[in-house]
Amino acid sequence: MRSAALLILMSICASAQIRTVALPGKSPLVTFRIVFTAGAASDPADKPGLAYLTAQMLSDGGTKDLTYKQVSDALFPMASGVGAQVDKEMVTFTGSTHVDNLQAYYKLLKGLLLEPGWREDDFRRVKDDAINAIKVGLRGNNDEELGKEVLYESIYQGTPYGRFTGGTVSSLEKLTLEDLKSFYRSQYTQDHLILGIAGGYTPKFLEAMKADFKVLPEGGGLRPRMQAPKMIESSRMTIVDKDTRSVAFSIGYPIDAIRSRPDYAALLLVSSFLGQHRMSSGVLYDRMREKRGLNYGDYAYIEYFPRGMYLMEPQPNLARHYQIFQVWIRPVEPPTAKFALRLALSELDKLHENGMTQEQFERTREFLSKYVNVLTRTKRAELGYAIDSIYYGINPYNDYLKAQLAKLTLADVNQAIKRYIRTDRLVIAAVTRNGEELRKQLLSDDPSPMTYNSPKPEAITEEDKVVEKRPLKLKPENIQVRPVGEVFQ
Amino acid sequence: MVPKLCLFLAGAALSFGAQPAKVFPYAYSQEDLPNGLRLITVPTDYANIVAVYIVVQTGSRNEVEPGLTGFAHLFEHLMFRGTAQFPSEKYNQSLNRIGAASNASTSDDYTVYHTTFSKEDLDSVLSMEADRFQHLKYAEPEFKTESLAVLGEYNKNSASPFSKLNEVIHDTAYERHTYKHTTMGFLKDIQDMPNQYEYSLKFFDRYYRPEYTTIVVVGDVKPKAVRAIVDKSWSEWKRGSYHPDIPVEPPQDAPRTANVDWPSPTLPIVAIAYKGPAYSDTTKDTAALDALAYLAFSNTSDLYQKLVVQEQKADSVSGNAPDNVDPGLFQITARVKKVADMDTVRDEILNTVQQFQQKPVDAAKLDTVRKRLRYQLALSMDNSDTIAAILSQYVALRRTPATINALYDQYGKLTPEDIQQAAAKYLVEKSRTIVTLTGPAATGAGGAK
Repeated sequence: MRSAALLILMSICASAQIRTVALPGKSPLVTFRIVFTAGAASDPADKPGLAYLTAQMLSDGGTKDLTYKQVSDALFPMASGVGAQVDKEMVTFTGSTHVDNLQAYYKLLKGLLLEPGWREDDFRRVKDDAINAIKVGLRGNNDEELGKEVLYESIYQGTPYGRFTGGTVSSLEKLTLEDLKSFYRSQYTQDHLILGIAGGYTPKFLEAMKADFKVLPEGGGLRPRMQAPKMIESSRMTIVDKDTRSVAFSIGYPIDAIRSRPDYAALLLVSSFLGQHRMSSGVLYDRMREKRGLNYGDYAYIEYFPRGMYLMEPQPNLARHYQIFQVWIRPVEPPTAKFALRLALSELDKLHENGMTQEQFERTREFLSKYVNVLTRTKRAELGYAIDSIYYGINPYNDYLKAQLAKLTLADVNQAIKRYIRTDRLVIAAVTRNGEELRKQLLSDDPSPMTYNSPKPEAITEEDKVVEKRPLKLKPENIQVRPVGEVFQ
Repeated sequence: MVPKLCLFLAGAALSFGAQPAKVFPYAYSQEDLPNGLRLITVPTDYANIVAVYIVVQTGSRNEVEPGLTGFAHLFEHLMFRGTAQFPSEKYNQSLNRIGAASNASTSDDYTVYHTTFSKEDLDSVLSMEADRFQHLKYAEPEFKTESLAVLGEYNKNSASPFSKLNEVIHDTAYERHTYKHTTMGFLKDIQDMPNQYEYSLKFFDRYYRPEYTTIVVVGDVKPKAVRAIVDKSWSEWKRGSYHPDIPVEPPQDAPRTANVDWPSPTLPIVAIAYKGPAYSDTTKDTAALDALAYLAFSNTSDLYQKLVVQEQKADSVSGNAPDNVDPGLFQITARVKKVADMDTVRDEILNTVQQFQQKPVDAAKLDTVRKRLRYQLALSMDNSDTIAAILSQYVALRRTPATINALYDQYGKLTPEDIQQAAAKYLVEKSRTIVTLTGPAATGAGGAK
C-alpha cells in the first residue's frame, strides 16, 4: 500500500537546511518541482508582473554560458523542458526527464535557475510574449479566463492579490532587465526555496542538488505584508465589453477556508456537490445544462483554478493565504444571460435554505475520499500536493483530506453552508458584447422568461416562473462597464 | 474460435541505448470477442488505479450526409443521458460514489469514453459502460436540450481565433471528404441539431456496435479477470452491418487561399496546409513527415530561431504532421506580431519547405529527432491514465498497440533522403492551402527590431 507520509523525506529548514520534498521511486523518470515562495504578491505596487516576467525570463531564456538556442538544442533530444507557473505566493519551475538524461538535464535546469543569462534579446522576446498574453491571449481568446481574472482583481482590489499575476500592459512595458535582476536577487533565496523531486534519482544526486542550491542567498528577502480582502458591503459587478458571441459569468466572494482551516473539508464537499469542472454529477451542471441546455457547464470552487479552459483538474502549487468561493457559469447565449444568472443564484439560495441531505452528503464524501487518489495519480501531482501540504502546514494531502472527511457530519456541512453560502454581497464579472445593454437588463426587475426548444416537465416550468422574477438587487452605482482594452492595461 | 494474442515485451524500466527497446514497453493482452468487440488489457506497476478507455472508431470522418455534421461529437454528450437501468441521474450518482474521473472526447476519426478510478470498482464501471453502450435511451426533449449544450460548447470555443481558423482551413482545403468540416461541425448544422432526433437514433444504430469498438483497460489489473467481466456484460452486444461510404477527396490541382476577418483585436495568423498521406506504420510516409515537422518547424529549427528568437517577427511557429485514418493535412502555423510582416513570414515558411525539398537534412539532426520522439513517449507514460490515453489514439487508427512499435521502427529506419522525398512528394504547391487571419487592428507588442 502506498503511504505518501512514509515516502516524504522532508526537512523543514533549520538555518542551514533547504526545505526538500523527495519522493524516491523505481520509475525511469525523474520529476522536478522547484518552488520559490515569492510570487506576484511580492511585486512592488508600481511593478505588477515583475515576479511573472522574472520567472519567464529564467525558464525561457539562456544561462550564463549557454544561449537560449543552445539550451533549446540541448533539451530537444531529451524531449524535456523547463516550465514556470507563477501565482500570488509561489513561483514553480517544473520539468521531467528520463534517467538516461538526468545529469545533462539537471545541469541545464541548474544553469537556468542559478546562473541565468539575462540577455537583452531574450528579455525583449519574453516581455513581448507577456504583453501579448494579456492583449491577445486573455482579452482576445478566452472569455471565461478573462471573467475569472477580472473577478479576482475586483475582490482583492487594494491588496497585494489585487494585481493580475501576469501584470498590466503599461507596467510590463516599463519593466527593465535590472528590475528583474533585482527581484531575483532579493526573492530567489534559500528561505523562499522548496526543492521537490520524485522518481528514479539516487540519494547522492539529491544531496548534490541541495548543495548546489546553497549558492542562493540565505535569508528570506522582503516578504509582502499579507492582507485580507476588504469586506464586500453590497453586491457589485464588472461587465467587460468585447465583441463576442456569448456571455460568460463568474461570481464570488472571499472565504476563510484555506486547506489548513477547520471548515476546509466541509466547504470542499459543498463546492464538489455544487459541481466540479467537467463532472456531470454537480447540482449546477444538472440544473443549468442537463435540465435546461443553457450552456456547456457550471461549476463551483473554493480554491484558485486558472486555465480551466484547457485543464481537467486544478494544478498544485497555487497555495494561497486567501481564497474565494466562486461559481463559474460557462458562456450562455445572450438572450438567456439574465435567466442563467438568476438560476445560478436561486440554486445557491436553495442550498443555503435547505442544506444537503444525508444521502447527498454521504455520496459526495465518498466521491472526494476516492477522487483524491485520482487527483494525485501522477508523481508530478503527488509531488506538487506534498509541497503545498508543507506550505499549509498539514499532513500529506491524501491522508489529510481523507481524515478530515471521515470526521465530518451532515450537521457540520450544513452549518458551513449556512455560514458561507450566500447570494448577497457578491462580486460578479461578466464578459459580453453590448455591455451597456446587459447592465440595463440586470438593473431592471423585469422577468426574464425562458423559452425552450422542447417540452419541459412541469417541475421545471413551475420553477422557472419563480426564477425568472428573482430580484438581482444590483444598484446602478455598483455595475461598471469596462471596454476590454482597458482591462489589465 | 476466439482469436487471442498475448504479447510479452521488455520490462517498463526501459533505456534507450545502442539497441533501443520497444518504445511501448508493457506486456499486454489483445483479445476479440465473437461479436467483434476488441479488448486490450495492459497491467502496469501503478498501484490501485485503473483507467478504462473505450474507443469507438467513429468521428467527424463518419458524418457522410450533408447538413448532419457534428453528430459523432453530439454522441459524446448523449451517451451521458442514461439507460432504463441507469437513468442519467443514477448513472452520474453511481460514478460519483466511485470517485471516478470520467469524460469523453471526439476527433476526426474516433470518439473515446474514459473513466479513471480505484481498482475495486472495475466490475461496476465495465458493467455500467456495457449498459449504456448497448441500451442508451433518450427521449426527444432530452435530445433537444443536449443539442443546446453542444451549441454552448461551440460558443465557449468560439472566443479563440484558432477555432475559426481551423474551420476555414478544413473547409477550404477539402472539397468532398468529410475532413471538410471540423469535429464540432458546421455552426448551421449545430443550430439545426434539435430537429434531427430521428437521425441521431440512426447514427447510434450504425456506429455504436462492437466491431467499431475497442475497450482499453490499463492499470492495477489482471487480463483474465478483466476478460471475465467483459464476457459477462458485453458479449450479448450485437454486431452491426453499416459501412460508411466516405467520399474520396479528388486530387487538388491548384493552390488555394482564404482569409478570416476576426472581429476583435488579435495578432495576425498565417497557416499553410498541404494534403498529406493517410496514417501508415508499414511505409515511411507518416514517420518522415513527423520528423520533417520537427526538423523544419520546432523551436530548435532554423526557421523558428530566425522568426521567433532573432528577428522576433512571430511569437510562435509550429508544424504538425497528419495522423489520420484518411489523408490529412500537414499544417504550419505562425502567429505574427505585425500585419506588415505577414507576407515575409509566409515567404520564409515557403522557402523553408523548398530547402527541405532540395537537399537532405543533416543525419545528426535526424538522430536528435529520433531520440526526442522516443523520450517524448517514455516521459508521457508516467501513469496508467496517460498510457491508456496514448494507446487510444493509436487504437483508433489500427486497433492494436503493436502499431506504436511499428511506427517507431519506421522512425528508426528513416534516412535524410526519406525526409527530402516526403517533402518533395507532399509539400507541393498545387496541394497547398494558405489561410490568413487578421483582426481590426494590430495591437500586439513587439516586432522586428
